[in-house]
Amino acid sequence: MKFVFTMWKKELRSYFVSPIAYVFLAAYLLIAGLFFYLGVTLTGEASLRVLAGNLAITQIFVLPMLTMRHFAEERRQGTLEMLLTAPIPLWAIVVGKWAASVTLCAIMFAGTLVFPAVLAYYGDPDWGVMLTSYLGLFAVACAFCAAGLFSSSLLDDQMAAGLIGAVILVPFWLVGRAEALVPDEWADRVRPLSLLYHLDSFNRGVLDSMDIYYFVAFTAVFLFLTFRSLESRRWR
Amino acid sequence: MIDVQHLTKSYGPRLAVDDVSFSIGKGEVVGFLGPNGAGKTTTMRILTGFLPATGGDVKVAGFDVFDEPMQVKRRVGYLPESPPLYPELTVGTYLEFAAELRGFYGKERLKRVGRVMEQVGLVGWEGRVLGSLSKGYRQRVGLAQALVHEPEVLILDEPTSGLDPTQVMGMRELMRELAATRTVILSTHILGEVEAICPRAMLIAGGKLRASGTIAELREQAPGGVWYYLEVAGAQDREVGALAGVQMVEPLGIDGDFAKLRVRAPADPRELLFRAAAAKGWRVRALEQRLPSLEEAFIGIVGREG
Repeated sequence: MKFVFTMWKKELRSYFVSPIAYVFLAAYLLIAGLFFYLGVTLTGEASLRVLAGNLAITQIFVLPMLTMRHFAEERRQGTLEMLLTAPIPLWAIVVGKWAASVTLCAIMFAGTLVFPAVLAYYGDPDWGVMLTSYLGLFAVACAFCAAGLFSSSLLDDQMAAGLIGAVILVPFWLVGRAEALVPDEWADRVRPLSLLYHLDSFNRGVLDSMDIYYFVAFTAVFLFLTFRSLESRRWR
Repeated sequence: MIDVQHLTKSYGPRLAVDDVSFSIGKGEVVGFLGPNGAGKTTTMRILTGFLPATGGDVKVAGFDVFDEPMQVKRRVGYLPESPPLYPELTVGTYLEFAAELRGFYGKERLKRVGRVMEQVGLVGWEGRVLGSLSKGYRQRVGLAQALVHEPEVLILDEPTSGLDPTQVMGMRELMRELAATRTVILSTHILGEVEAICPRAMLIAGGKLRASGTIAELREQAPGGVWYYLEVAGAQDREVGALAGVQMVEPLGIDGDFAKLRVRAPADPRELLFRAAAAKGWRVRALEQRLPSLEEAFIGIVGREG
């Protein structure tokens, strides 16, 4: 467990001593500000419904860029050799890196807290829904960071890892709109795989255990795949 | 300390290490010699637990690398060919991270980082960003990382490659100091390095262990073998060749009155040559034993294509 903390600390430090963290925070807050403005002016509601829904989709493309460097860069720099010859378990490396990315996401979300403050000043927002919206965003971040980490473990090239990360995630978005492509009864079957389907209840202020299971399972599966892919690459 | 039996490693159809067996005792300093792509790095990576072997047994300090990798990793310090540095971190934070990976926290961590920085000559460099360091200092930081847990076994993959002559001297000095208290394996394709540091060397080429022994033993295995250099005036090379105990004489050149000769003999003929010269009134200016260089031994054993 202490090795998870060691990895987490090192990764966060790497984020913040290089421009990466600041560029991401700035870009993310800019996009979030735009969605917030559009959401409030178009619907006239004092809610984060539009913002949260759109941010989740934006994260499909942003978060793989945050995680793409993790293993691709370690391999290129040769630092993976240092990690894998140290007496620490491989899962601790994976979890530590994932936790660092999720932490950076949490910091990005903290930056958006100014929006609820604005809403509270001008209107009367529903705080419960607001809280579950944020929980939903956080759940999405956990899941996407895991998927991004997985694609980083597959490829040596950062850019490729980022792109593949997005490519892995896009189907989970599109499957929610499957009725446009396949007959309705098929669409109903695959819709539970969709991220938006599960995120929707968070944005309505509903905490359903099925939705929580979905995100926990999504995260766990991709962390496990990352672990396996790192392990299997040693054999080739 | 290190025991390798019938080690084999293949990358797909390509055999990188082919049935290599050797053992290294506690406190020994051994050089892995071989051309690039000979299988040195692969062998080292298996010893450190970074790569699994395809076949064979590898034991370090009595622990099997495959069955008890954590026990092995705790006892081994490893400096890969290019030092494993995070360019964005400073020397201090990097070494603290390395110490934490080895399970040292708090005061113990700071103590170890301080000691290892002193050991490799990095005092005063804590705040420097790794990406801005010269090759020589990068190598030192890499070595510090491998030493932070005071390993019993130190594995260094081409530790002096890419350094300038002054840095090479400094690195060798450092390695000699480290070798005094540890088992060290050092890979290189620079023969002088092995001669300077390692009492014992192993020659690897094409994934196979071609020769193993002390530097002197390896030299004797060179195709030319041992010969004697004689500079003499007042004697024909035929006269020298006719002496009992001399096998063959080759003229190498003439310098004024003196003939330079290459003398081959089954046993050391120097005393015999000296007595003969004294008896016959030859004037001897030089008489010495010549061993083939490690380069000659290397090429002789590995072959020119290696």
